Amino acid sequence: MALKIDYVARETAANLTRNVTLTLASVLTVVVSLTLAGSAFMLNQGVNNANDRFKGGIEFIVYLQPTATQDQKASIQRALESNPEVKDNGVTYVDQDATYQEFKRLFGDSPQLVETVTADILPPSFKVAPKVQDPDVVQALGNQFRDKPGVYDVVFAFEVVRRIQETFNKISVRFLIASGLLLLAALMLILNTIRVAMFARRREIEVMKLVGATNWFIRVPFIVEGVIQTLIGAAVAIASMTYLIRPFIDELSRDKVLPIFQGFEVTDSNLLFTNLTVLAVAVGIGAIGSAVAVSRFLDV
Amino acid sequence: MIKLEHVSKIYKGDVTALNDATVEVEKGEFVFLVGASGSGKSTFLRLVNKQDSPERGRIFVAGKDIATLSSWKVPMLRRNIGSVFQDFKLLTNKTVYENVAFALEVIGRPRHVVKTQVPAILELVGLGKKMGNFPNELSGGEQQRVSIARAFVNRPLILLADEPTGNLDPATSVGIMRLLDRINRTGTTVVMATHDRSIVDSMRRRVIELDRGSIIRDQSRGVYE
Repeated sequence: MALKIDYVARETAANLTRNVTLTLASVLTVVVSLTLAGSAFMLNQGVNNANDRFKGGIEFIVYLQPTATQDQKASIQRALESNPEVKDNGVTYVDQDATYQEFKRLFGDSPQLVETVTADILPPSFKVAPKVQDPDVVQALGNQFRDKPGVYDVVFAFEVVRRIQETFNKISVRFLIASGLLLLAALMLILNTIRVAMFARRREIEVMKLVGATNWFIRVPFIVEGVIQTLIGAAVAIASMTYLIRPFIDELSRDKVLPIFQGFEVTDSNLLFTNLTVLAVAVGIGAIGSAVAVSRFLDV
Repeated sequence: MIKLEHVSKIYKGDVTALNDATVEVEKGEFVFLVGASGSGKSTFLRLVNKQDSPERGRIFVAGKDIATLSSWKVPMLRRNIGSVFQDFKLLTNKTVYENVAFALEVIGRPRHVVKTQVPAILELVGLGKKMGNFPNELSGGEQQRVSIARAFVNRPLILLADEPTGNLDPATSVGIMRLLDRINRTGTTVVMATHDRSIVDSMRRRVIELDRGSIIRDQSRGVYE
């Protein structure tokens, strides 16, 4: 038997408005939990994007003493280029002028600082791309150059990235646990909302059963009610992630005072994927909550 | 139309509501179920439309064994059985018209059928002028007419009535019985549980008497005692 769409729409609308406070409570819980989960998800992808960018390029930088001699430079360059662990053409020399230009770009908004610095006090450097990405191998490789004459320091890009990633993994795991608990609360709230809606309409349900309405005819409006609640919640969560959280992450990634966020990027496809996931979780929660409610409390 | 074979129904706490009942009701019959409160009259009716299931025995409705009926087919069984109750079970937030239309809408009848059937049946029960009223604006007798209209609008094979005059005065009850008699004469089998001695004695129809779950009398053209 076909369900009449106008019947389901009418019944669902009546149910949703009958219990405004309870409906609002479940919708808000869905909004908060899904926004939290979605943000953690987006941050995670942002970190991965930043990480990918490092992986594709430089893994460590050998800074030379500004006073290093030409012989020392040439010897280090030869050692790097002949090393079997380093990629072919994986060594780039950055001279003092180029370093100065980079410095000016980075600190362009602090002219006093730029004035005190001249090219000859900045260290020239070799940017090195190794063949393997394994942090331990790269570290061992880089350390071979640490004590060579003329070397000022060896800095590993992945160290920073790895720290960032670990930190954000910890954060997102906690976010996900919190949002999981909230989702559980949302599930129970929806279950309870549907149960109250069924109790409010027990006389109608009794009559429906007596005149031979099918089980699904009785159940579907309640299930639709549960799904609509989570859909409203998902819509608000998606809007807040698109128009609040993502611009916030973008802003952070441009923040010069907090360089830890540099390289963070949430692409359009990341956002779309996150939003679709949130939508799917929402529909799932709504359907499960109300389906459990009708099967447990609707004895047909 | 309705056949019980050695049917027993035992509720929790060892209350025997029906004890080895065997009886057959033919198509088009009008049957009174009489007996004291707790004798098993309501249980009899609840078993026929499968609101309850028996512990032992078999029940046939329209030739089908309803004990083996899967739960998703129960609604189809109930579409062939109209039910009327002492407390009417009308929806107070719906008008007379809407109460009757509801019964057709929820079993998926098309709108044009609802629009023609509902006024016709309300005319039949004598409420053609009160279609827009709400149940609490009607007298008890009128409310029972609405509930009979709702039970009969889908033209069921069987009409089950559980003390339909229990809340009504004698004069109003007579009107309700005339209506049930009219419905019976269209070929609908009517089974009515009642305490109303004067109604049973004046109608002179088949009487089945129950006592503590057992059928102790089955008499055609019978009286209350």
